[in-house]
Amino acid sequence: MTATAPLYEVRNISKNYGSVVALEDVSLALHAGEVIGLVGDNGAGKSTLVKALSGVHQPSTGSILLDGEERRWKSPHDAIEAGIETLYQDSGLAPHLSVSANVFLGREITKPGLLGRMGFLSQKVMDAQAHADLERVGIAVPASRKSVAQLSGGQRQAVAIGRAVAWARKVIILDEPTNHLGARQAGEVLQVIKAAREKGLGVIFISHTLPHVLQVTDRIVVLRLGKVVRDAPTSEFDADSLLGTITGLIESPR
Amino acid sequence: MTSLAEHSPPRTDQASRVARRRLIGLFGNQQILLLLVLIAMIGFFTIRNPIFFSVDVFGNILLDWGPVVLIAVGETFVVVSGGIDLSVGANVGLSGVLAAFVMRDLTTAHHGQTLTLIVGTLIAIAAGTGIGLINAVLINYARIVPFIATLATLGAAGGMSIVLTGGAPIGGGPANAITLSVPKFGPFSWPGIAVVALVIVLGLFMHKARFGRYTFAIGSNTFAARGAGINVRRHITKVYALSGLLAGLAGMYLYLRLGSGAPTSGAGGELDAIAAVVIGGASLTGGVGRLSGTVLGALILTTVTSGLIIIGVAPNWKQVVVALLIATAVFVQGLRTSGRSTA
Amino acid sequence: MVHLRISGSPALRRGVVVLACTALGLSLAACSSTKSSTTAGAGGAGKSLTIAFVMGAEADPFFKAMKVGADAEAKAKGVNLIWQGDPSQYSPATQIPIVDQVMAQKPSGLVLIPTDPDALQPSVAKATALKIPVVNVDTHVTDLSNVLSFITGDNADGGAKAADAMAKAIGYASGQSYQVVVGLTSATATTNVARLEGFQSEIASKYPGIQIVDKAYSQSQAATANTNVSNWLTKYPKLNGIFAIDGTNATGAAAALQAKGLVGKVALIGYDAYPTNVDLMTKGVFTALIAQNPAAEAKLAIDDLVAKLTGASTAGIQPKVTIPNVVLNKDTSAADLKAYTYVS
Repeated sequence: MTATAPLYEVRNISKNYGSVVALEDVSLALHAGEVIGLVGDNGAGKSTLVKALSGVHQPSTGSILLDGEERRWKSPHDAIEAGIETLYQDSGLAPHLSVSANVFLGREITKPGLLGRMGFLSQKVMDAQAHADLERVGIAVPASRKSVAQLSGGQRQAVAIGRAVAWARKVIILDEPTNHLGARQAGEVLQVIKAAREKGLGVIFISHTLPHVLQVTDRIVVLRLGKVVRDAPTSEFDADSLLGTITGLIESPR
Repeated sequence: MTSLAEHSPPRTDQASRVARRRLIGLFGNQQILLLLVLIAMIGFFTIRNPIFFSVDVFGNILLDWGPVVLIAVGETFVVVSGGIDLSVGANVGLSGVLAAFVMRDLTTAHHGQTLTLIVGTLIAIAAGTGIGLINAVLINYARIVPFIATLATLGAAGGMSIVLTGGAPIGGGPANAITLSVPKFGPFSWPGIAVVALVIVLGLFMHKARFGRYTFAIGSNTFAARGAGINVRRHITKVYALSGLLAGLAGMYLYLRLGSGAPTSGAGGELDAIAAVVIGGASLTGGVGRLSGTVLGALILTTVTSGLIIIGVAPNWKQVVVALLIATAVFVQGLRTSGRSTA
Repeated sequence: MVHLRISGSPALRRGVVVLACTALGLSLAACSSTKSSTTAGAGGAGKSLTIAFVMGAEADPFFKAMKVGADAEAKAKGVNLIWQGDPSQYSPATQIPIVDQVMAQKPSGLVLIPTDPDALQPSVAKATALKIPVVNVDTHVTDLSNVLSFITGDNADGGAKAADAMAKAIGYASGQSYQVVVGLTSATATTNVARLEGFQSEIASKYPGIQIVDKAYSQSQAATANTNVSNWLTKYPKLNGIFAIDGTNATGAAAALQAKGLVGKVALIGYDAYPTNVDLMTKGVFTALIAQNPAAEAKLAIDDLVAKLTGASTAGIQPKVTIPNVVLNKDTSAADLKAYTYVS
């Protein structure tokens, strides 16, 4: 796997908020068909790294490469256009909109002709396609027209992940996708992650739930105080050593 | 692969839940409820004074309705996007006054009435949109919350109108201005028909097009909208510009109605607009609203105004009636939201 | 003094000024120089007098016209004039702090237009304690014992004159019955109350056939006044006349009459000689306009204070002066029309 060139890569990126250093000289390489676990304590810099990867913020220094080509994301829209989907922690959906409106948010299908150019939407087409897309990913959800506020927490998460997987062409970034989920639902999310890997996508999986990380990832990157302290195949970790590395009880060989 | 979705809840309280949902469905359909309220009001006023049920009175009501619905529709877009625009009333006054100055100068220079009115309308639109864009800049770039930003433009625009006019209405424009606002087709005047057409188009843009979809998405969850690649700043700018544009049109409408641009025209109009929006069922927290509700809300407000005059009750009772309607609307909305979260 | 002139300057430039001022977030005071201005003493003695003039609401053309008179007289007498008042609200809540602030500048004399007879009484007491003589104009405080003079337009007389003009306009004949309505701004504004009382008592004594069938309040909104009158015209198909008690009501009523095509059929007696209203009167929309003379009131107030402060003859100072309202109609000479039209 490591023989091929990386699909998505960050090199030596740093991010300051005023005088606070949130990320310092972080490098990371993701290959197609690989799942990377990104772990670290609160404040380790995970969210900042996710924001840099998904185009919400620009790093202060360092470079981002997609398919070996240097890129600068001016907005999340740029990253999405390039095939990078992000599922944000707890806030990926608009609760007042319907399931299909959420699946197609930001890339609505418009009617043909002049009406379409004025922005009029093909609601029926989107309803049908949203349903099909979610099913293809392995998620059965209630009617496309139902508003997200009417769904349970598990159903919402299913829609959010389904949406990310359905649209991702290259990379998918999942920030705490198993948060607040029961054991069975979390298991289903992990299945979806494996399915995404089989599709050849690169997956970045951020979680506090270490057993999930150990179960589904190929490689684990540990952040502490804004720096990468360990980047190694998952097989080199067990639950204790992973926890030790995160908290700093185990000094990493670096 | 198995389903991630939760399956049907236990059947124990299914029956009571269905009954409750049906009740909520009936009263939760704000448009039907509003229509019933409107019909009841028309019935009440007609019984008290039969002259109320006449083309003439409906003409008066629609004349009043025009400017209110214009700013209320703009306010609906703003409120659905999660913001608020307090400047619309002052914007109406300033746009009308600026248009009045230009039309007076053009009339003094013996330009044709049609040309003068067209130029006046464009000036009102430009001034209104300009104020909307200032709001957008304050909100998007100066990072001032909408309530404070639009409160500032309310004060600035209101003050400007008074400084420019010295408090007096500015007349001397086209002589046929007032005759344009006379009902021509039953209770409908030309400006009235233009307002109806515009509101229908905006309704389609709100509920059937991308523009409205983005507005709802931003009001529902700004972070999700941004994450989905929507340029939130640009869209918010458009929403406040639209609100300003409609206030500018309302300023021109009032000019046609009064034959002059008065600096106090529209003062306090923001409260009518917000009342119409809330009665119409929109939520001030964003993400919820229907333009048809706002249209009916504005119609109810103006029906109350004219009705109370016709039946000979002091029009100040209007505030009391409006307060009751707002309280009821918010109560119904609470009922719907609680019904949803337990559904 | 820099004055934003309305006539002549291109409207577009005004628009630019507005937007620029708004965009820069300048306060009203920064854009306008009318809020506080001083007229330098021209021919005064070594130490020139400063007279503070605290009026009701800048927005009202009535006070604009008063300022024109005050400025001219201050210049003629060589006194400094501090002109202050709330930009738009006619309210004691905003006026009292303004009076306090003005008093801190230690003026030689104070002209006060109290927005409430009782709420402003302590302000007069304060001025008296500081040995600042006070003149009331237009409205007055309840206890006038410490007030040098109270100068007002006679609003009750104006109301009576409106009733006479109304009777004439509708061709009043005894034995017949007539319907009229009155458009007011508020139930408490003293000018409104006095005009209405004058109107009603004149009708009761001289024109018993006239019945006031309806009254409503416009809250200073021409559009509201317009709605009221439009609906009255529907409700009372036999309506003979409308008395619009002030400038905003006059504007709204005039528009309603024109829109319903009832100009000349329903008599309209207006109040306040706004330029637009005077223009509409010459076109026959108003049968008559009652005008006040705010500039003359201001002139007299300043003259009284100057006489008192310079120790010149105070014999001419009357405790109460009433400057009559005038009736403007199509027979009024052009020169008189010009003299009474409120300029801004």
